[in-house]
Amino acid sequence: MSTASTRITTVERLREYLYLAMQLEHATIPPYLTALYSLKPGTNSDAYHVIRVVAVEEMLHLTLDANMLNAIGGSPDLTAPSFVPDYPAFLPDGETDFQVSRQRFSREAMQNILEIERPKQTPSEQHRLVRRSAPKAQQLAVVPGEPSMQYYSIGEFYAEIGRGFRYLHKEMGDALFRGDPARQVGKEYFYSGGGELTTVTDLDSAEVAIRLISEQGEGYGGRIYDEHRELAHYYRFEQLLLGRYYLDGDQPGQPTGPALSVDWDAVYPIKQDARLADYPAGSELRDAAVAFNRAYADFLGLLTKAFTGQPELLIEAVTGMFRLRDLMIQLIRNPIPGLDGVNAAPTFEMAAAAVVSS
Amino acid sequence: MVVVGSGISGSIIANELSRAGKTVLILEAGPGTDSSLVEYEAFLTRFYDAAVKDNQSPYAPNPNAAMPRSSDAVRIWPGQPDSSTYLVRNGPLATDSTYTRVLGGTTLHWEGKTPRMMPDDFRTRSAYGVGLDWPLTYTELSPHYAQAERELGVSGDVETQTFGGITFEPGYVYPMRGLPLSYLDTVVAKGIDGTAVELAGERYELRVRPFPQARNGIPNPDYDDGRGFVPVGAVSTNQVEEGGRCQGNNNCVPLCPVQAKYNARKTLAKALQTGCVDILVQTVASKVILDPVTGRVSGIEVKAYEDPVSPRHTTWTMRGHVFVLAANAIENARLMLASGLGSSSGLMGRNLMDHAYLLSWGLLPEVAGTFRGTNCTGGISDLRTGAFRRQQAAFAVDIHNDGWAWAVGSPYSDLIQMVDQENLFGARLRNALQSRISSQLQLAFIIEVPPSESNRVTVDPAYTDQLGNMRPVISYTLPDYTMRGASYARQLARRVFQCLDAADHTSYDPEDSQYVTYEGQGYVIRGGNHLAGTHIMGTSPATSVVDDRQRSWDHKNLYLVGGGSMPTIGTSNITLTLAALCFRSARHIIQQLRADASLTLPPDAPSDAA
Repeated sequence: MSTASTRITTVERLREYLYLAMQLEHATIPPYLTALYSLKPGTNSDAYHVIRVVAVEEMLHLTLDANMLNAIGGSPDLTAPSFVPDYPAFLPDGETDFQVSRQRFSREAMQNILEIERPKQTPSEQHRLVRRSAPKAQQLAVVPGEPSMQYYSIGEFYAEIGRGFRYLHKEMGDALFRGDPARQVGKEYFYSGGGELTTVTDLDSAEVAIRLISEQGEGYGGRIYDEHRELAHYYRFEQLLLGRYYLDGDQPGQPTGPALSVDWDAVYPIKQDARLADYPAGSELRDAAVAFNRAYADFLGLLTKAFTGQPELLIEAVTGMFRLRDLMIQLIRNPIPGLDGVNAAPTFEMAAAAVVSS
Repeated sequence: MVVVGSGISGSIIANELSRAGKTVLILEAGPGTDSSLVEYEAFLTRFYDAAVKDNQSPYAPNPNAAMPRSSDAVRIWPGQPDSSTYLVRNGPLATDSTYTRVLGGTTLHWEGKTPRMMPDDFRTRSAYGVGLDWPLTYTELSPHYAQAERELGVSGDVETQTFGGITFEPGYVYPMRGLPLSYLDTVVAKGIDGTAVELAGERYELRVRPFPQARNGIPNPDYDDGRGFVPVGAVSTNQVEEGGRCQGNNNCVPLCPVQAKYNARKTLAKALQTGCVDILVQTVASKVILDPVTGRVSGIEVKAYEDPVSPRHTTWTMRGHVFVLAANAIENARLMLASGLGSSSGLMGRNLMDHAYLLSWGLLPEVAGTFRGTNCTGGISDLRTGAFRRQQAAFAVDIHNDGWAWAVGSPYSDLIQMVDQENLFGARLRNALQSRISSQLQLAFIIEVPPSESNRVTVDPAYTDQLGNMRPVISYTLPDYTMRGASYARQLARRVFQCLDAADHTSYDPEDSQYVTYEGQGYVIRGGNHLAGTHIMGTSPATSVVDDRQRSWDHKNLYLVGGGSMPTIGTSNITLTLAALCFRSARHIIQQLRADASLTLPPDAPSDAA
């Protein structure tokens, strides 16, 4: 693999990339959770599990990114302004042909998610980067130092991070990994059925982390299953649209497993990309939305502490996640007064949460 | 190989044998798909929807493979057995113990506690003059305990489990670190830790100690010489990545919503992956068929049904080289006796054991967080062995994180009381309910029951099920040895409540189906679903049904496995021990098959059965 064309030639630049990677992984979580909890209880079990498992794995990726950032002496801060995007937001994509929204579970939402997770590799080396064409909306995975450029896909973005690690390791040797090993989050604090959390202390472990993220996300390299017999996210979501599960050995687009059932109507009709301003001042919904944002801000604060030397706090974070779920559900199951048949949704407006808490 | 039963015993043996390249057919009487998440969730939904949430509530009634329910137990009057439900109860004590007949067996409702038995428990006859000695020692079983702890995914800390003679291999750690004690446990610990009791001239200091549990916790990086442990989440054909670690949901029994708790389907899923295992569900073993010349088993007659409600079925004979009955202590004995195979020892079905549970319940003076966490995380284990066992039964004590649920049906019973009798509603009801149930303390004493030949399973052609299979007839009573333990347990409960300033609310209803009196005092003794001892292992065909590898003395290619082989059960929930025994048997069967490689199959055997 060529390292000549890497754009990451300094540790500072690699840190910027890794911080951006965390932002990117996190940016998928509010849309996934919103779709997940818009499902009516007792329905859509298949959809529920597909979305939940992927959301858990995005949190795994977030943690792997934090480990990589810590390994090279960076410091993850999930409480920084604009860490949480302002939805709808662009994700890296050549044509800026879609924006990521927080919306109810629907065919459109699944299409939207497929765009995020899409497995396309760039047609050629020259096309790894594409010029931005929608400068107004917030974009993620823009090229640090070159705000007019962005990566073709999340896979390409991580490929660049891998190139950066290799380049800098060649230049600096093991001095690249100057971070405090005590900040690494080990697998004792986080596991899901799929994928393993690895600590990052050298080039090999960094590459393991990158490979896991890429393969879980998009099945990088055109494969739909990874070496751990795990189906890539793109194909998991695609199952919901195709109405059938994949089995190992299937070709993309042609799942041959058991049928799965989706009830597209058993979903709460929540407001897309809801904002605090959608809820009348002084209303219960407004209070609930503020409470959620505050709890989410607290949660990101807790994660920041966990990623900066107190990994054991991740155990405590589990309780926090139950609270977040309950607060989200309160909003999603209640109609917005005056809007006929439209329910509320959490707004994930962290700036507002900061103002309220101060 | 043909295995009857897909519970933990059958699953472990099938998995081990298939890994050694043997072809295995599992027969399951109850229903089950291939471990899909959809089916598991349907069980959960049924449980959530059920008004009475007993441990069988997730499973639809199935008259073709009926299961006992705890609510089936009614008072038995002398000479009047109760045959109104599947288990025919001959008394004098009505047992309310249950087992589950679906794919995965009783691990589909077990609680998940996995204490090892104590070294003394294997030699109660020689040490205390009570019960029987095993043909095995703790030390011999110890490596298989370690195998079982890996298979079940046990969370525990060696430091807290090294007591009463229990030892571990040097450097051993459990696959996962111990689960934390609940807040309720710590409240109890504050009140009683260090309290001394005198018993049979010996002094015991009480303390709250965690239980090891087959529930996903934090993997111990030191496990397996530093290779660590990968927890097994939910199993499913399509979503292998589901499931995770224990979240502290409070319905471990019957089902963990996230499959953090082990169930045998996790082992079955691995076995199926070998490609050497087939499972036939809704296939009830009805007869063990012998070769009249050799005395070996030549086949198992089964009745296969499509519709659980309809008695329509077809009858088949399954042939193989080795046969394993893994259908639990009651069903194994029932099948053998229904086949006319009472064992040359005459002991088939005898020595039926179960733990005797005595409940005591009180209200703490403070909110103690009851109903948070898993069903049970800690208890008192200091009286599980000692010289007093010459006179009275040993016991362990569970602190129940689900309050008075078992004793009186909390929290539902509290709710009904508050609405109907106390006229509470709205916010006052909510607050009152929360404050009452979160101060509840229920202690469950798990009391030793030694083997007794008169406690037994029999069959009687007068009692058959819908398919015409003879039903188990249970004769059961508790020996004075156990009741002396129960009487002491009740006194200890009073003392614990005193230490905690707790108000004792315990009362035993004389109308209860399991009300027993001992020395003028009345008690209600519940069953523990820890069914054991109907085909006990021993050193001689005259005094036991199976040898120390669970092989039938009478029929060399037949193994009767599971709790039924245990000659004593001490004060340990039996699953871990029977799993260890099955690992030991599996190793033996593999060796035996290699040694028998020159043996030819019976002429009418299908070619695909090992």
